[in-house]
Amino acid sequence: MIKEMVNHPEDIAERCQQAYEKAQASQDKLNAVITFVDPKEQLEKLPSQGLLRGVPIAIKDNVCTKGVRTTSGSKILSNYVPVYDATITKKLEEAGAVCIAKTSMDELAMGGTNLTSFIGPAHNPWDTDRITGGSSGGSAALVAAGIVPMAIGSDTGDSVRKPASFCGIVGVKPTYGRISRYGVIPYTSSLDHVGYFTRSVEDACVSLQVLAGRDDLDLTSSNRPVPDYSQALNESVEGKKIAILANVVESVSNPETKDMFNKLVEKLKQAGAIVEEYHFDDKLMKAILPTYFTIANCEAASNHSNLDGIRFGVREDGADMKEIMTNSRTKGFGPLIRRRFVIGSYGLFEENQERIFRKAQKVRRLIVNAMKDCFKEYDCIIAPASSNIAPLINDKNDGDKLSADYLVAENYMAMANFSGDPSMTVPMGFESGCPIGVNLTCNAWQEETMFTIAKAIEDITGYKDLQTEVK
Amino acid sequence: MVEKNKEYFQKLADQLMFHLSDEEAEELVKEFGTLEKQFSLMEEIDTDGVEEMIYPFEEPTTYIRKDVADHVITQDDAMANVTKKLEGHFVLPKVVK
Amino acid sequence: MEYKATIGIEIHCQLKTNTKMFSGAPTSFGRKANTCVNEIDLGHPGTLPAVNQEAIKKAIQACTALHLTIDPLVKFDRKNYYYSDLPKGFQITQQFHPIGRDGYIEIPTSTGKKKIGIERIHMEEDTAKQFHLTKFSLLDFNRAGTPLIEIVSRPDMKSGEEAESYVEALRQTLFYIGVSDCKMEEGSMRCDVNVSIAPKGSDHLGVKNEIKNLNSISHVGKAVEYEIKRQTELLEAGEVVHQETRRYDEKTNTTVMMRRKEGSVDYKFFPEPNIFPIQLDPSWIKDIQEHMPELPEARKERYAKEYGLNEHDIRILIADMEMSKFFEEVMKYTKNAKAACNWLLGEVSAWLNKHETSIDKSDLKPDMLAKMIALVDDGKVSSAQAKQLCDDLMEGKDPEKAAEEKGLKQVSDTGALTAMVNEVLDTNAQAIEDYKNGKGRAVGFLVGQVMKKSKGQANPGMVSKILEEELKKRI
Repeated sequence: MIKEMVNHPEDIAERCQQAYEKAQASQDKLNAVITFVDPKEQLEKLPSQGLLRGVPIAIKDNVCTKGVRTTSGSKILSNYVPVYDATITKKLEEAGAVCIAKTSMDELAMGGTNLTSFIGPAHNPWDTDRITGGSSGGSAALVAAGIVPMAIGSDTGDSVRKPASFCGIVGVKPTYGRISRYGVIPYTSSLDHVGYFTRSVEDACVSLQVLAGRDDLDLTSSNRPVPDYSQALNESVEGKKIAILANVVESVSNPETKDMFNKLVEKLKQAGAIVEEYHFDDKLMKAILPTYFTIANCEAASNHSNLDGIRFGVREDGADMKEIMTNSRTKGFGPLIRRRFVIGSYGLFEENQERIFRKAQKVRRLIVNAMKDCFKEYDCIIAPASSNIAPLINDKNDGDKLSADYLVAENYMAMANFSGDPSMTVPMGFESGCPIGVNLTCNAWQEETMFTIAKAIEDITGYKDLQTEVK
Repeated sequence: MVEKNKEYFQKLADQLMFHLSDEEAEELVKEFGTLEKQFSLMEEIDTDGVEEMIYPFEEPTTYIRKDVADHVITQDDAMANVTKKLEGHFVLPKVVK
Repeated sequence: MEYKATIGIEIHCQLKTNTKMFSGAPTSFGRKANTCVNEIDLGHPGTLPAVNQEAIKKAIQACTALHLTIDPLVKFDRKNYYYSDLPKGFQITQQFHPIGRDGYIEIPTSTGKKKIGIERIHMEEDTAKQFHLTKFSLLDFNRAGTPLIEIVSRPDMKSGEEAESYVEALRQTLFYIGVSDCKMEEGSMRCDVNVSIAPKGSDHLGVKNEIKNLNSISHVGKAVEYEIKRQTELLEAGEVVHQETRRYDEKTNTTVMMRRKEGSVDYKFFPEPNIFPIQLDPSWIKDIQEHMPELPEARKERYAKEYGLNEHDIRILIADMEMSKFFEEVMKYTKNAKAACNWLLGEVSAWLNKHETSIDKSDLKPDMLAKMIALVDDGKVSSAQAKQLCDDLMEGKDPEKAAEEKGLKQVSDTGALTAMVNEVLDTNAQAIEDYKNGKGRAVGFLVGQVMKKSKGQANPGMVSKILEEELKKRI
């Protein structure tokens, strides 16, 4: 879609204006946008060329945009107007992308439902009674609704790949360090990845081409050269060795999903891929979620200590510094966030660190070692992105938080955040009219292999440019 | 060991510069029960002799920023996100020592 | 009972760099509020730290000067606490892997030299500056993020004198190698002292009290002495010493309690995830270490050897790096080191003090001072006359021209002086008589008379010589 748009520069103004209006019109139904951005000014400053020239896009609201409000989905930042651009904001601008919206997200990206934004829940365009998944739900919704062909998200546990599954689109989280995090409001620095949504693997290649690259402002960004990702589309899946993450498939409680996945595997084999079952240590798989939760909350509690209402953000009154900070943070953070900060801080106490935080960091290593073992034999790890389609917004049944379905099938994707390996979700099929995705993870810096396999899956399913009209 | 009750978590919250209401703290007490069970899934794993993994990648880097002052914002920008200011300063009620 | 004191000192030094520890904003002193900052220094959401090369270099220089072992793998950690002057809500520091470990410095004491151990040096970032007005506090983030090193001594000091000497030795060393301005009164060097008292011979330490933010070297000594006295008195009266944070009160020369410490604060240290460990290039470290600026100790030895100055003069000269630098400049134009030293420590220092300025800001030129020394040595002006030329010299004038203008040329002409001497002898028969009777004083008196007659312009050395000769003729 992106190439098509770039090839028709005569439509730019109309296209961007339309996307902007369409996003506004969808807001009642989707509630996917926190701040709309009028494209006019950007159109005036459009560069003469660029891989995304004149392509309307949306940006998750934790990416700083100079002069445009950036809230990270939190009330405490609901008046924050950055005085600087994130590195990717600049890169997108230089490539000619036109941002029409800052999208809704779970508060501070700390959720997987997109129910906790200060503007309320985002709705799934396939069924507005269902969640989009989070935390990059607003971006996923706009891409799935056909409003923009590409939108930026961020992924700490599965915050791009899960909503991509629930919204029937492509969601990519490349290797840690491939895309600069400078200017992206963090959740967990050691797990945070910039990611994005598109409706085709081809567009995913173009988008990474624009976003990837070293940034001296992010010391964790990589110096590795950025290859021509679109070349991967011409490669064949034949002979590629793919490991089925058997622990996940076994934990999927929904037989329909299993069946759909098995059929896909058969077709991949027919296309020439070598697909085999691979078992991880079950104990490690069950430890992914608590390990993730621990590292995430501990780092997050510290990362967000800067939100105190003093230099920016919503400041509440108080008689002294401590009162101002306390009142601002009490009113500025939702209850879930505050509880998670307490949990994180608990794990960082000197007396608990060995048992909780450092223990999680050690388990992280064991999980990553297991993945590296798998990648010695295989090019890719594959499994359903979730057990079920998007849950209903009003579904209050939390389910059994110690079941294999919950611990493994619904929450395993964070393993690629532990290892920093590239991982993406593409649509796999539909249940009850709602999409569900398949996830693939490759070894670090092997984005090209990942795109080759994703393209093969896209060819098999025919789910390219999947979108739905918001009713 | 200190009991992980409502008061315990409220005190902890205060150290983090926010309050938890009674209901919020009660909910946290409940959550903490599940959490401890999830922690135990982690504890079951033998990590003897395993080093903490702090970063996704562990090859050390060599880049260090050159000491060139090329990144500064204006005073107006520095103060752009606050309403209370005085002669280019951020203003707080007098900090009680 | 007799008691012994144990003293440990923590010093924070701002490093002399162009930019902040973790951002490319300029460092500043005395600039307009919040103009030397960027989004990183203000702790804006989404910002990330980028480590300053020069700060690492300065830290390595400090470690080298103080004989610490350098860790070539640089790692940082977070120290978490909330305060309005701490923009991120945590400080990036080096809790677990300081850049340097296990060094020492030699300090002079009244009983000879003593080695004081240095446990560690680590890099960290400074906080913002708060100004407390009556109703408000104002925040300026120009200082926020300024590179610091913290130098932690071993508890090797026993007295106020040693504490003072340690801080002075550190200050001089760090200033000399250009690591820091080390201005205690301006806060670029800050000093916290821990003092504890225990009975002599006991192998356990007493309760530690910390005296915070001492802002001059003499306060360090005074505060420690007071604290030793206070704690000793408490113990002798059978009372308990509490663990406290105290401050020094200049007016009363005492220490005052700020707060009692109850358990230690949990800063929840953990490794900074946004900075991968940095592997320093060993050849870079070696290069820094091989090109260290001269240390004060080395300079002392060199001055004794090269210039033959005495220890007392060297110590004073070296205490002021600018003065010492100037001295070396003067030595390019003269061979008379003693005279150059005397001028700088005497007339020049007095003039600078009187005019409240410093050598580097004055107009005095090294070659002109050398010229002045030559004028005296060649007998062209007397010492007394030279003193009268000091103002001109300090204003950058050529002393020879100034002497001419003022008519201050010393008379060194043998004929003229002999005539003058004889005139004096002719009118002082009694003095000649005294001289004959062996009264040495008579010569001094006669020289004085000649000098008076010449209005101070006669060369006194020549006058004495000629006088002796003429006297002998008259006996």
